[in-house]
Amino acid sequence: MSFAFDLYVDRSSWLHRLDPRTKLAFVVLSSILLLNYSHLLVSAAFLLGIHGILWSGKVPASRVRWAWQRMWPITFLILFLWPIFYPQGNEVLLQVWRVRITTQSLLQGLSTALRVDALAFAFLVLLFSTDQARLVRGLVKLGLPYEWGLTLAIALRYLPTLYGIYTTVSEAQQARGWVIGKGGFIQRIKSYLPILVAVIVTALRLADNLSMALAARGFQSGTRRTYLRELKLGLADKICLPLFAVSLIVFLIVRFRHSLGVP
Amino acid sequence: MDDFGEPFGGVYPEQGRRAQDKLSRADIVIVENLHYAYPPLTPGGEPLPVLKGVNLRVRRGEFLALMGPTGAGKTTLCLTLNGILPHLMGGTFEGRVVVAGMDTRDHGPGEMSHKVGLVFQDPESQLFNMTVEDEVAFGLESLGLSPSEMEQRIAWALEVVRLPGLRKRSPLQLSGGQKKRLAIATVLAMRPQVLVLDEPVTGLDPLGRHEVLSVVEKLKREGEATVVMVEQDAEAVMAWADRVVIMERGRLVLEGSPRQVFSQVESLHGWGLAVPQMSELAHLFNRRQGTSFHFITEDEARSALAGELQSETCTGPRGSIQYPIPNIQYPVSFEHSSAVKVEDLWHRYDDGPLALAGVNLSVEAGDFLAIIGQNGSGKTTLVKHFNRLLRPTRGRVLVLGQHTTGQSVGQLARKVGYLFQNPDHQIFAPTVWEELAFGPRNLGFSEGEVAARTTEALALFRLRDQADTPPAILGYGLRRHVTLAAVWAMRPQTLVLDEPTVGLDWRGTRTLMEEVTNLNSQGHTIILVTHDMKLVAEFARKVLVLDEGRTLAYGPTRQLFQQEALLRQAFLAPPPITALARRMRLVLSPSTLLRINSAEGPYGLRGDSLTVEEFYQEYTALRRLGQGG
Repeated sequence: MSFAFDLYVDRSSWLHRLDPRTKLAFVVLSSILLLNYSHLLVSAAFLLGIHGILWSGKVPASRVRWAWQRMWPITFLILFLWPIFYPQGNEVLLQVWRVRITTQSLLQGLSTALRVDALAFAFLVLLFSTDQARLVRGLVKLGLPYEWGLTLAIALRYLPTLYGIYTTVSEAQQARGWVIGKGGFIQRIKSYLPILVAVIVTALRLADNLSMALAARGFQSGTRRTYLRELKLGLADKICLPLFAVSLIVFLIVRFRHSLGVP
Repeated sequence: MDDFGEPFGGVYPEQGRRAQDKLSRADIVIVENLHYAYPPLTPGGEPLPVLKGVNLRVRRGEFLALMGPTGAGKTTLCLTLNGILPHLMGGTFEGRVVVAGMDTRDHGPGEMSHKVGLVFQDPESQLFNMTVEDEVAFGLESLGLSPSEMEQRIAWALEVVRLPGLRKRSPLQLSGGQKKRLAIATVLAMRPQVLVLDEPVTGLDPLGRHEVLSVVEKLKREGEATVVMVEQDAEAVMAWADRVVIMERGRLVLEGSPRQVFSQVESLHGWGLAVPQMSELAHLFNRRQGTSFHFITEDEARSALAGELQSETCTGPRGSIQYPIPNIQYPVSFEHSSAVKVEDLWHRYDDGPLALAGVNLSVEAGDFLAIIGQNGSGKTTLVKHFNRLLRPTRGRVLVLGQHTTGQSVGQLARKVGYLFQNPDHQIFAPTVWEELAFGPRNLGFSEGEVAARTTEALALFRLRDQADTPPAILGYGLRRHVTLAAVWAMRPQTLVLDEPTVGLDWRGTRTLMEEVTNLNSQGHTIILVTHDMKLVAEFARKVLVLDEGRTLAYGPTRQLFQQEALLRQAFLAPPPITALARRMRLVLSPSTLLRINSAEGPYGLRGDSLTVEEFYQEYTALRRLGQGG
């Protein structure tokens, strides 16, 4: 339960060793690509490629399956709703009352769904293979102030803790005969009050103690901060980054000079 | 490990021995006439004075224990030592604190952290990194050290606290004892000159306690470490401290060697503090027999008492003496003989390991059962089945003769009350009255009945004066009482108490246990989950020992504490007084037996006393016999 918020899986692979900045660059590049190319084949090819990367990066299949399980509902929703709300073209496949399903809109729905999946997976490549500390280090290296990075890291770190407190508090109140979420909307909101008050009070105490713990460990002592592990670009990074730059230029030329990649 | 000879950095390695001696005698911590008040809780409110003129000096290399009841200001004093007070919180600060030559008025916690390592009580809030390694590195990064130096210090600090090999682990995955040790490592790596430990073993299971205390012992044994340790546990203080300082209501009221301090049993109890059981025993003899014992360890007690009896210690078969054992009598006010019955109970958490593996248990109505065992042995998992917060993976649970299957948590709340460990996980209402009324109201009683029950609970738990106070602002001890009263207001036949005394001082513990005993004598079944063997020995009639989800032992308390080998398997040990009784093996000499004309011998201590009082009674009875009385 406690690790439900951390997607990272510790493995030794080229993908894991890659600098988080390189992986961030990959996310940016993928986003630009996917947002500009709406063609079905581009999204499909991209997804295929991503799975290749995950496989060679030793990300366990169970993680990938987990991700797909989370993605299915949204994928289906898009597939189902798109043709209904954006009817395009004339090739009518099916008509029920005033709702027309056309081949074009079906394909459009499919390509949109795959694009959303592909975008999600571009981020997941980063999250599956980068531990949070390195991710934050990468962001700080890219110019995020250290305090912000630390805040982000701490927020991620305490999510499971807060969830744990929430669970305990709700159990404690249930043991006193309290029932969650019964009645109308207002009643329901009100029924969460006994948990929320206790969780917030506990969280505030935690935050107070945390600020003291930070001070006790010399945070903001005025000494210039050093780092145990400096991020350094390795060979793989030095290959990937120029490759990304070239790809970006090629993508943009192909897309805007030659208007390819859109249906 | 070469480094370990000078664990706090070896600040003056080049100077001669004499210079070092001189320095070692110097006071490294100087607190002069310190007054401190926290800023008011509400705008325009009164400041909250906590320290009221504290004077304290700690010598370099000294191991000082700071004891005091809850609310005495111990933690506040710790926070002034590295400048967190007043720099982080404001408030009014008078007097002065100088540590390693640095006045905290001129240096904030950031700078002071180079000299003073503060380990907080709550491990959760001071382990804020993703891995053990990053956790230790954090302070070193603040110091601006080079990566290679950090690497060395991390390895060294983790070695000292015996956590090597866990560097890539998340602190969340560590056990309680490991978390505390990691917290110690994080400040130790910064090589402070003074290490301040705020209740390092509070709330830990016996194994965790042992792990942490052995690290503390190592620090004391191997270095010129200056350590200030706040601790409630008298047995731990007695074992490690050079000097003990007692704090009460913001002032230091007593100081001296452990022997000196713990001989003041009456004063300490008056301040609400525990003393080691051996001191309690010596005190009992001195008060009732006019002796002048001053033993504080088991060995000392053994030799002093053997001499007193003018008899022999022997290793032969244990003698027996006609000493009445109180009979266990169950009140028969409840019709069901079995309060909770568990049959072949298994539980597996989602994707997790097996938490319970075939537990059987039958708790009679009106019984007082203690459940003991290490954290992770399945204690809480087991009791959460009693009100269906958890459902069996296999097996079944019966409450008052009825299956729990098909009953909701709410329905079971009428029969089984559950007191959670942390009162703050339960408290939410704007007033104590509302807090107590919450349960009965949930159970659907009429407003008249709710009011009646609440009023009665307020009276029974002596909370009438607090009825209109927000429970969240009460002191810890009172908050604990409010939560117990709130559970009692639902009148469940069975009360499950999950480590209810953690964080309470001696007096708070006594008061709570008196109330629990009281409820038990009215016929309520009590199921107590605890790590405190003294409580188990004194109050529980039966004990269930869990080990890795299985029953290791289940039986009457007296018999159980005789099985030391079995207990050791679960890293448990009987309380000191029982250990003493077991090892005394005191019998009357043959000549004495002849003199008192008895052929029924050998007479001797039964060796299974559970409390200091019991031991005293038995011992004096034996002595009277020996004197022909």
